[in-house]
Amino acid sequence: MQTLSVPLEAYQLVAALLFTIGLIGVLVRRSALIIFMSIELMLNAVNLSFVAFSRQHGQMDGQIFVFFVMSVAAAEVAVGLAILVAIFRNRETANVDEVHLLKG
Amino acid sequence: MLEPVLFALFSVSAVVFAFNVVFRRNAVHCALHLVGVLLSLSGMFVLLNAQFIAAIQILIYAGAIMVLFLFVVMLLNVKGEAPLLTPGAWKGFGFFFALIVFVELLYTVLSQGGTEGTPAAAVPLPPGFGSPAEIGRILYSTWLFPFEVTSILLLIAVIGAVVLAKRKFA
Repeated sequence: MQTLSVPLEAYQLVAALLFTIGLIGVLVRRSALIIFMSIELMLNAVNLSFVAFSRQHGQMDGQIFVFFVMSVAAAEVAVGLAILVAIFRNRETANVDEVHLLKG
Repeated sequence: MLEPVLFALFSVSAVVFAFNVVFRRNAVHCALHLVGVLLSLSGMFVLLNAQFIAAIQILIYAGAIMVLFLFVVMLLNVKGEAPLLTPGAWKGFGFFFALIVFVELLYTVLSQGGTEGTPAAAVPLPPGFGSPAEIGRILYSTWLFPFEVTSILLLIAVIGAVVLAKRKFA
């Protein structure tokens, strides 16, 4: 199985579609939790793109980059959810429209 | 001709699950559908000869990160948002903006990509492509410094999460 029987563009299209769905989630939903999940969706779309290109070029650097993206995503989720818990404890809400203290 | 069938299966399931993540009211349902997206993508990674990435996708993403999500969802007991899709100016803007980005991505994917172009055919794979041994060899030679920086990042994230989530905040 040396050649790709599914063209690279097909993988890129799926990645673009997933990225767009995640973008809709970030822009439309107002619950901070769902926004976090949508960001994970976008990160995964980019990961798929990386792995597809890595396969196309026969170099594993793309897979290494996916590894780093995953560790950064783990750090982001840990800190982000901790912030969310702190906000919920103080304000009793996870709605991003109601957290506007810094807006001035 | 197994690969196109599996690709179609995984891509359709990933997109359907992704729609459910974004358009479900209940946050627990969203989290479980996100697990579905992650598993479908992991299947696609196997199709792309990235076995190690597929394994850590399931272990780290579908395992650790989603457990963290579900834990926080159940800890906070967030009530569902008021109507999910009211016809408001801002939500219309969101869909419009996402549509623009999608068209742009589509153009980038389908256009032939400037002067460089794409390589004519997939190059033959080196032996052990995507295996844990090969990944480890590259990770600890070429990418050693970024790897060490990542460990510091994770340490900072752990400390930050503990400080932020402590009861006496600041």
